[in-house]
Amino acid sequence: MRRADRWTDGPAVGTALVALALLIAGPAVRLSAQDSQFGIRGLGTPGRWESVRSRSTGGAFAPFDPLSPLTEAPLADIGQLTATAVGGTSHRDVAVGGTTTALRATRFPVMVVAGPVRPRLAVAAGFTTYLDKSWDVTLRDSLLLRGVLQRYTDEVTSDGSVADVRFAAAGRVSRRLAIGAALHVLAGSTRETAERRFDDTTFHTVRQSAEVRYDGFGVSGSVLLGLAPGLSIVGWARSDNRLRATVADTTSAMTDLPRMAGGGLLFAPSPSARFAASAAWRSWSTAGAGAFDTWTWSAGAEFGSRRMPIRLGARGGQFPFGPGTKAPTEAAASVGTGRAFAQGRALIDLGLERLERRGGGLTERVWTVLVGLTVRP
Amino acid sequence: MTERRLALVGVALLVAACVERLTAPGDCPDFCPSNQITIVDTLLTSSINRDSSYRGYVLAHEAALMLAAHIPGATDTLDGRPVFRINGFGGRFVLSATDTGAILGADSARLKLVILRRDTATHNLRLQFYRLPITIDTGTTFGSVAGPFTDSLVRTVNIDTLLAQPGRKDPVMGDSVVSDDTVSHQLVVSLKLDSAAARYVATDSGTVAYGIRIAADTLASIAFGKGTFGPVLQWYLRVDSLGTPVARTPAALAAAFASFVFAPTPAPLDSTLAVGGVPSARSLLRVAFPKFIRDSSQIIRGTLFLVPAVAARGAPADSFVIEARTVFADFGGKSPIDTRLGDTTVIHVGATDTVKIEVTNLLQLWAADSTHPTIFVLRPQAEAQFFGEIRFYPSVAAAFRPTLQITFVRRFPFGVP
Repeated sequence: MRRADRWTDGPAVGTALVALALLIAGPAVRLSAQDSQFGIRGLGTPGRWESVRSRSTGGAFAPFDPLSPLTEAPLADIGQLTATAVGGTSHRDVAVGGTTTALRATRFPVMVVAGPVRPRLAVAAGFTTYLDKSWDVTLRDSLLLRGVLQRYTDEVTSDGSVADVRFAAAGRVSRRLAIGAALHVLAGSTRETAERRFDDTTFHTVRQSAEVRYDGFGVSGSVLLGLAPGLSIVGWARSDNRLRATVADTTSAMTDLPRMAGGGLLFAPSPSARFAASAAWRSWSTAGAGAFDTWTWSAGAEFGSRRMPIRLGARGGQFPFGPGTKAPTEAAASVGTGRAFAQGRALIDLGLERLERRGGGLTERVWTVLVGLTVRP
Repeated sequence: MTERRLALVGVALLVAACVERLTAPGDCPDFCPSNQITIVDTLLTSSINRDSSYRGYVLAHEAALMLAAHIPGATDTLDGRPVFRINGFGGRFVLSATDTGAILGADSARLKLVILRRDTATHNLRLQFYRLPITIDTGTTFGSVAGPFTDSLVRTVNIDTLLAQPGRKDPVMGDSVVSDDTVSHQLVVSLKLDSAAARYVATDSGTVAYGIRIAADTLASIAFGKGTFGPVLQWYLRVDSLGTPVARTPAALAAAFASFVFAPTPAPLDSTLAVGGVPSARSLLRVAFPKFIRDSSQIIRGTLFLVPAVAARGAPADSFVIEARTVFADFGGKSPIDTRLGDTTVIHVGATDTVKIEVTNLLQLWAADSTHPTIFVLRPQAEAQFFGEIRFYPSVAAAFRPTLQITFVRRFPFGVP
């Protein structure tokens, strides 16, 4: 064992650093979560502010995870400088109107660097996806033009996202109580195109495009309370002001963003078994028509040593955007594992998630493979 | 080792999976973007003003072709006659580096012509060659050479008969024709001229001039090449070499002057918009291009509608192409034409249907460059290479004025959820 650790000390950490660099070196537009057709008509697809470890437990561990940019208070116990990044590939089947379309996307939705600056104070910076806005829709239709029915194909695309750049700080007030707060700068852009190709080529192809920039601002706070050895609860809240969309320096839309709050419970009866549950509420209905307030819940467990645990979880709730008068629903189950090496200075987390969203006659089924890399140099 | 492999496999999986496939059929309106592409179609009936016509851009002798036609009409006959002059070698011929001899005359000559355009439905096509005064030049008119075209016939050849000969050669007359019918319908005609038809007159420096009339069973209209496409004359000379006549075959000579004369001449320009004819006519149409289209839309189709004031004139078989272009600056009839973009349409002689020219390219140019003059120039694509001419109603004819139909797309509301 010592021999293996000695071997992994240098090359393994180097490999992990290279892998981390590769993960975070992707273009900004890829720093987004998994897409959904439900988000096309709304603001987009809200991101999942979870590390691979948390997501493998259905998100239940996210409020207690210092590397999940959901809450700040757990940062107080981070102990040493740590960086993590997440990559995920999703295969999504979209079934609507009797047809099923297979889609695929790769995203890098989370990057966090955190570390202590004082004995009782830690800070973190990083970004995660606030809204994914990547989609590509094609449509066949016709219209009467110059007295003739002209058939055409439309393709409207959006490629990009709104990132949540977070600056967080957390401190341990007492042995049982930790608090944290964060500022969130929302920034991002999408490259949007609208194209119409007529079957009659006398009509030239319509092709318009624009770069849409987004900005917004938010604050959040959280409290972590140890009720008893192995039993903790956390509460968090967040408020964002609005999302401003600008095209060529002209504001094209201002959309109110939701307030959100949530809490969680962590129970660790032994060092090799940990259970968690969490819930969150988000007031997405402020975003306008076709948006709904949502409740989400999750429950998960982690077994085994921290060196190579087994994780599983489930979650459910509502998706904030959809047609009709009811919010679409979503449910997911996930499993995962991890492996620490180089004396715990590098970790690889792997996760697999099966997600289903339903609403308005559309069903999305998604397989997502997640890879997380964490280094503690 | 296991950990490193695990890391590498994980990264390799992610990198290999970096292929996006996001395109999905839209199920509208529930799962489509809330905004749609908006198309507007508008007919601009009064945006074209201050239009006018000009003639004289390409004259007959400047044309790339020599036009020949014989089209009897109800009131007159369209008659086109190629004329050309081939300068000779002078009175003496260079026999060697140190010796010259007087040119005594010609045994014969061979004249090569290229028919670049013909109607393959025309039968019994006959070419009649006339000797013309060697003084023909750019000022020569149909009337000024009417006499020689009446009394100076030197040779006649029937093209269809020649084409029907074995090997397309006439062993008696020494004529031949090479046909490239499958590609361009061109004919290369080689005619043997005897000493009577090809007289080498030393006092004229050997210069000869010929004119061609054509005839056929049906409407005859063809075009001869000039410049690199003929006419070319190969002399077979007799030269005095120290008192002994010797035969010499010098290099073939190209025409020093090639043109055509025709009747009737085009009617004078009036208020209509004339395009085509010889000398070629062009028309300028000034467009008040609406600002709301120029500034905030994408033009996907623009059509210029022109109503003929009279049926298009010309040889019935010779449909001709007119093109719409724009100009770099408005100097009236001398406006420099922007040749980068152009749109065309075919004009059928005798037709009176409304002419439509798709001018999308030009309108898009105007929309992209607000400094560009918004003027259409209508001209024949091949100027003075057809007798065809069409005249359209001008903007002052309220009921039949030129109109512009534009289909455009409003700016897509990007960034609006």
